[in-house]
Amino acid sequence: MRDSRRARVVFGALLTAALVLITVGHRGGDSSVAGPLRQFASTVFGTAERATTTVTAPVSRFFSMLGDAPGAKDRIEGLMKENAQLKTKLAAADMNKGRAKELDRMLGLSGLGHYRVVPAQVIARRHTAGFEDSVEIDVGSRDGVRRDMTVLNGDGLVGRVLRTGPGTSTVVLLTDPGSLAGARLEGGNELGVVSGLGENGRGGNLIRLRLLDSTAPLKRGRRIVSFGSQNGTPYAPGVPIGEIERVDVTPGELTRTAYARPYADFTALDVVGVVVRAPDRDPRDSVLPEEPRKAVPGKKDQAKDKQKDQHKEKQKAQRRDQAEPRDPAGQVNEPDPAAEPRQSEGRD
Amino acid sequence: MARNLVAGLLVFVALVVQVTVLNRLPVRVVPDLVLLVVIALAAVRGANAGMIIGFCAGLAADILPPAGGVLGQYALVLCITGFVAGKLAAHAPLVATEVCAVLAPALTVGVGALITDDGVGWAYMRTVWPWVALCNLIAAPVVLWAVRRLHRERRGQAVLMPSWRRI
Repeated sequence: MRDSRRARVVFGALLTAALVLITVGHRGGDSSVAGPLRQFASTVFGTAERATTTVTAPVSRFFSMLGDAPGAKDRIEGLMKENAQLKTKLAAADMNKGRAKELDRMLGLSGLGHYRVVPAQVIARRHTAGFEDSVEIDVGSRDGVRRDMTVLNGDGLVGRVLRTGPGTSTVVLLTDPGSLAGARLEGGNELGVVSGLGENGRGGNLIRLRLLDSTAPLKRGRRIVSFGSQNGTPYAPGVPIGEIERVDVTPGELTRTAYARPYADFTALDVVGVVVRAPDRDPRDSVLPEEPRKAVPGKKDQAKDKQKDQHKEKQKAQRRDQAEPRDPAGQVNEPDPAAEPRQSEGRD
Repeated sequence: MARNLVAGLLVFVALVVQVTVLNRLPVRVVPDLVLLVVIALAAVRGANAGMIIGFCAGLAADILPPAGGVLGQYALVLCITGFVAGKLAAHAPLVATEVCAVLAPALTVGVGALITDDGVGWAYMRTVWPWVALCNLIAAPVVLWAVRRLHRERRGQAVLMPSWRRI
């Protein structure tokens, strides 16, 4: 009895204490009793909590991992899939960019020479050392590609169409030992024949040029364009082929031999164009790349160029003379009869 | 004395484990370990010890670092809970433990609703309390068993010693 009474007293006292604490804490906030108490508690419990957290962090991490596990797996899978997709896209974008650039250059080249081309992409390559060098492109007879059409890319001549299917065609490359193409030296009229060397192109991918005139000056760095055939097949005229890299000394032979480095990179062909219609007029050298730093024309050529320039100047002067008589008053003067024959001469 | 030390240590460990481990588990509701320890201690040691342990544990819980509640609120609740649990446990310890484990959260919410005005109240009771009660219901027998076991060992040692009450 006494025990239970004591208990009640203690209980009452404790409840009162709690209520007093509540009241004091409620009114005084952290300033009065709660402040120091909490300070003390944060010291004691804070230390214990920090220690416990250090110990149990792996455990709780494990549990949280466990909790996340089903979602995490999905998420990892999703992210991996997305990652792969993005990577593919990025690679494709890079590739597309490169292709677009190549296409641009090719179109620029064909525009320069007024070729009408069908753009195509190399889809397969056949390469038997020393025998044949050909690629498959993704245009065919449906796209208007016929046999023996010229194939070029942004750098220069690539080859010609050997065979066409409805959707694809086979292109025999310039480096194929069996391919022959008529060629002309830049700035002059010396003609020659370019043939592939296959794997024998010492140092890789050289082509051989046989110049028909054995006395013609043949120097390193001179550039070659295609000569062209009748109706533009098999080779359209004026397509850049390459630069002479080495000249063989062959005394006593009827032809001179040189080795040229083709402009087109035959090891990395991607976007090419098939010339479906050759230009009406031979573009001659106008399609050649814009950097004639290596090209050192021979004296003969220089003289010829000078002559040509002079000729042009003359023509221009004539035209100016012609234009001048038309005065602002609108009167049309009769052209000088003396100028007539000269003019027709100049047109040539 | 040893029993008091054990009680203090138990409460301390319960407090720390509660805030560092249990509350950080990635589940929505966790059992209130401090409450369960207090109830179990009260059930084992009676109402007198129960209310004092409850008061002290509540006070400690009130000043436990990530605490922003009113000082003394939890002390009041745990004091009452310890007293009731000790009283009831004299007849049926397990039932008393379960009943207290279920009702104490409600009491906490009730006291909180009375003395603070941050909106805890009926909504909390409806949504969270059932889950907390369920958690406590499941965890209470385990805690009770552990505390009992701890005290039985102590008691076994004590039996060998002559006690002043027997003299």
